[in-house]
Amino acid sequence: MDRNLHGRIPTRIHLILYKTMSHSAVANHDHGNEHSKFEIFVQLAMLLAVITGVEIITVYLPFSHTTLVTVLMVLSAVKFLFVIFIFMHLRWDKAFCTILFFIGMVLAGFTMWALLQVFSVSNSIPLSSL
Amino acid sequence: MSSVASGAIDHHHDSTTSTGIPNKKLLMWAFLASDCMFFGCLISTHLIYRLHPPAGTPAATQVFSIELTSFSTFILLMSSLMMALAVNAIQKGNLKSMRASLILTIICGLIFLGCQVYEFNEFVYVKHLTISNSILGTTFFTLTGTHGIHVLLGVIWLTSMLIYSYTGRLTEKDAIDVESMGLYWHFVDIVWIVIFTVVYLLEYI
Amino acid sequence: MADAITKSGFTAHDEKITARSSLFYRPQAKTGLMSWLTTVDHKRIGFLYGVFALFFFLVGGVEALLIRIQLAVPNNNFLSAQQYNEMFTMHATTMIFLAIMPLSAAFFNFIMPLQIGARDVAFPRLNAFSLWVFVAGAIILNIGWFMHDGAPNGGWFGYTPLTTRTFSPNHAIDMWVMGLQLLGVASIAASLNFITTIINMRAPGLTMMRLPVFTWMTLITAFLIVLSFPAITIALIELMMDRSFSTNFFEVSNGGMPILWTHLFWVFGHPEVYILILPAMGIISEILPTFSRKPLFGYPIVVFSGACIGFLGFGVWSHHMFTTGMGTVATAAFAMTTMAIAVPTGVKIFNWVGTIWGGHISMRTPMMFALGFIWLFMIGGLSGVMHSAAPADAQQHNSYFVVAHFHYVLIGGSLFALLAGIHYWFPLMFGRKVSEFWGKLSFWVIFIGFNTTFFPMHFLGLNGMPRRTFTYDPNMGWSNSNFIATIGAFILGVGVTIYFVVMVYTYFKGEKVKNDPWDGRTLEWSLPNPVPEYNYAVIPVVHARDAFWYQKQHKAEIEAEKAKAAKEEESHGGIHMPFQSLYPFIASLGLLIGGIGVSTMDSNPDPKVIVGKKLTVCFIGLAIFLYGVYCWALEGNEGYHIHLDNHGDDHKH
Repeated sequence: MDRNLHGRIPTRIHLILYKTMSHSAVANHDHGNEHSKFEIFVQLAMLLAVITGVEIITVYLPFSHTTLVTVLMVLSAVKFLFVIFIFMHLRWDKAFCTILFFIGMVLAGFTMWALLQVFSVSNSIPLSSL
Repeated sequence: MSSVASGAIDHHHDSTTSTGIPNKKLLMWAFLASDCMFFGCLISTHLIYRLHPPAGTPAATQVFSIELTSFSTFILLMSSLMMALAVNAIQKGNLKSMRASLILTIICGLIFLGCQVYEFNEFVYVKHLTISNSILGTTFFTLTGTHGIHVLLGVIWLTSMLIYSYTGRLTEKDAIDVESMGLYWHFVDIVWIVIFTVVYLLEYI
Repeated sequence: MADAITKSGFTAHDEKITARSSLFYRPQAKTGLMSWLTTVDHKRIGFLYGVFALFFFLVGGVEALLIRIQLAVPNNNFLSAQQYNEMFTMHATTMIFLAIMPLSAAFFNFIMPLQIGARDVAFPRLNAFSLWVFVAGAIILNIGWFMHDGAPNGGWFGYTPLTTRTFSPNHAIDMWVMGLQLLGVASIAASLNFITTIINMRAPGLTMMRLPVFTWMTLITAFLIVLSFPAITIALIELMMDRSFSTNFFEVSNGGMPILWTHLFWVFGHPEVYILILPAMGIISEILPTFSRKPLFGYPIVVFSGACIGFLGFGVWSHHMFTTGMGTVATAAFAMTTMAIAVPTGVKIFNWVGTIWGGHISMRTPMMFALGFIWLFMIGGLSGVMHSAAPADAQQHNSYFVVAHFHYVLIGGSLFALLAGIHYWFPLMFGRKVSEFWGKLSFWVIFIGFNTTFFPMHFLGLNGMPRRTFTYDPNMGWSNSNFIATIGAFILGVGVTIYFVVMVYTYFKGEKVKNDPWDGRTLEWSLPNPVPEYNYAVIPVVHARDAFWYQKQHKAEIEAEKAKAAKEEESHGGIHMPFQSLYPFIASLGLLIGGIGVSTMDSNPDPKVIVGKKLTVCFIGLAIFLYGVYCWALEGNEGYHIHLDNHGDDHKH
């Protein structure tokens, strides 16, 4: 252990280091990670492009309708969640932002589901389509 | 020197608010939750009308061009990357890098819009699918058109921000404004992720 | 009149403030017309919402009286069928969107920031924008009265295909669509602002579970607005596209389904009725404890029930559509969710009764309106839960039974609570108190008139009288009840008139009172009346629910805290106040002009003319809007500082 470390570092730089560290504790990401943020973004973009490619290929695969729809939904959901948690920074922000957005997202999803259910039943098929 | 400069401003915690979340960020997330319902209802309309298409409706697979749409989807994804990099840059006080990323975002946005315009022209004049001659045309053009308007408004916002950044009045302390704009832009991208799947890809299964 | 406004204190004296030099001139007038057009002060904005709301309430009331005159006797020809359609459409649209909602907004604006210990809302200029866009929407909705095409006449719910171009060829429906779109923009903008304010600008120590119930209801209502208005926005866009661009959303011959409109409308419409009632419930939850001198019974449950009502309110919309043939499963599902939502509503009523029980009751005017609310809202709730049984609803739907139900919850519920709130917070806003005699008289006349009008309608409905029909046959057995209802309506009109006259009189010449005349429990009562421009000289620290009550019991502790906080604020540069701005008003003006262009003008039929009059007007409106928005963005959000000396006088710089 170098007992003389603090004695040897000029005071100004010591204070800057201290400030940087305490800010990182508050900011929830430290400045040493700045480079990897860039990398995370680029890697994510490439991943999203790959998933999109997979989606396009999927529609030509000879599986059942239900299977294909499920696969597409899952892949889209994965892309969706990656973008909101990483590009839109929800992973590193306060949880309330996530809750706020999920309220709208879940409600929209539920409303869409309910509407599709109501319009799918036999009573709702328009006469012109029968 | 950027590490010292960026250490001075904490972009993720605003001590003047009760939650620590900056007001503008909270406002934008609440607005995006609302916009989820907005697009949810519009997408619902399209899907409802695809449940039991009336006789005589054109077959979507004969009209759509999956290659073009895949290309524009890829472009929009890249624009999201550029936007994230722009926000990252301004949070480090790097104005030059932010401007470069913004320019690329705008270019990608314009390419996307160009693809949309081209696609609409093809559908109307070559494939004879118009907004008023079938229910498919109505829901398709309204949904993708509304999304396109959102993209256009985003491009206008991005361009305004870019121009403003040359006046010397945009500095690191304004990163929250760029970040809010970024949230809007990413949202427009995730709506397209949904639209690409449920409007285009689902037709091919 | 101008004198009274200058003296009434929340308009300060005209002082020259040396603004920092900036690219844009910031308006500084503190009195006169410009001070109102450029205000960003939540109290003034709340006052303006209130004034407009009360004006349109009278307009809606006149429309109601005209309806009742027409229905007083069978086979009447006071109004033609067409005029009658305009009356019931505009009466409903006006009362819901131009009276109750803005009156609630008046309270959200004035009271909520005071209750959370804030100096204003999170985005003051956005707040002003909401107000002026609301005015623009109100104008467009009503402009039809002065035009050849007439006022909107498709019912407040605008069912297709009646409202499509085929069956409503003139501009009346276009004005309805445009007016509602602007009102939607105003409501959403205001609600986003309130959500941010309540979540982010609470005084130190004010945790969510210490919030006054009125503030909680403001928050929940704001969530309901931002999540439900998009549905009607989409529905209106689809209708407008059908009407203007020949799309096929509701065009049966090309695959459209008019029932889709009905669904989308009610996805909005049902949360909308909770938007109308939750603020009222919040007001009641403030008044009952104050006038029973007891804390609210079961605060956490009342808050949780409010949140449940808001959430469940999104799952019941098709109970407005039980007779549309959705099939057994859908009908049963919505019937069950509708019954479920009665539970949290009932829980609240029990909690209110529990609040009064064992309390030291003070029967002042606000308390009388509040007690009236509990009773009348409960009756309305009971008739509502009767609708939830789909088979019974098959008879009740579209009959006067429904009219009775919603007037009991909207007048007996929302309106009574808002009238109570006006009396209750009058001293805080204007430094004067309404006379007990006249206040109580107005209450009783309103109460009697209201019940005389609407109670018979339960029986009219069960005896088969349909809604929205301009006349009826004398053989139906409906004549007596209708006549009684009309008499009741005029009594109600007299009661409302008394209330208004008394309110205006009190504003100018009423008995002046010191602050906290009711021995209140919440923070807003700790302020002097009239409230200073900056609200709190020192931001309070909150220690408990009913924060002001705690302050009154712990005076010494609070004084010490105050002194310490005052020093800190001064060391930070004093009280920061935002500059006023004209740009929200200008942006709204652009939307008004554009909206008038879109909804009232005909396109030029000549294909050689590319940009005719209509497009020109729309572009001018758009240009003014963009100008307003850009200047708003670029003028910056600086402000000025107020320093208070030891006497509490302010010096601006």
